[in-house]
Amino acid sequence: MGSGAGMDFDTAVKLNIYDTLARTARAPATHDVAAALRAPLADVEAAFRRLHEKRLLVPEPGDPSRIRMAPPFSGVETPFRVRIEDRVYYGNCAWDALGIPAALHRDAVVEATDGHTGEPIVLAVRDGRPVPEPCVTHFAVPAARWWEDILHT
Amino acid sequence: MLLFRSEENVAAWCGARGNPVRPLIRLDQLWHLAVTWYANRLTVDSRRPGPDEMVAIFAEVGLEGPFWDPKADRWGSAAEP
Repeated sequence: MGSGAGMDFDTAVKLNIYDTLARTARAPATHDVAAALRAPLADVEAAFRRLHEKRLLVPEPGDPSRIRMAPPFSGVETPFRVRIEDRVYYGNCAWDALGIPAALHRDAVVEATDGHTGEPIVLAVRDGRPVPEPCVTHFAVPAARWWEDILHT
Repeated sequence: MLLFRSEENVAAWCGARGNPVRPLIRLDQLWHLAVTWYANRLTVDSRRPGPDEMVAIFAEVGLEGPFWDPKADRWGSAAEP
């Protein structure tokens, strides 16, 4: 792949990842993206690495062909379930759980739990804004350290 | 970042782990961050905000200081390990 096409190809990969997540609520693997774009697998693998460097995705630990995070979406089930129409997405954290309806521009119901008690907390996003609900979000990690261990943050 | 029903539950969670209580964010502040960060994520030009942009975004909802500065190497807490 020539250097002049690099950014365009990365953008195509990024859009395919997010389009797939939006449509199916599932993160595609490198071979899925390669098939969809009719591109060599090695090129897609390289694009995944560059998108990780840009902090637009986080690969599955030990398996860089799979996506753990394409923020705000999670590639695996988490305690932050986001229902939009007939699909269930998973957010990486409280912020990302609201980020999914923000990214999709849809109303949503977020089903989460209290981090201490496990009590269910349901947040509704209706007409483009959250319905007031008693809750707070605790940021345990300073912004400068978020990407040192993003799976923990 | 975790969600809690109340500040009391945050204090209990932190206390059980010996962790300092960090900033608490209201739902309206979190929604602003979610929209600002992700509203264009599915578009061609989407990208993660840069460090200075992040500082400005946090300031829009009153989140200021070294805790919210991705370039900071200290955040003013004696409890920080």
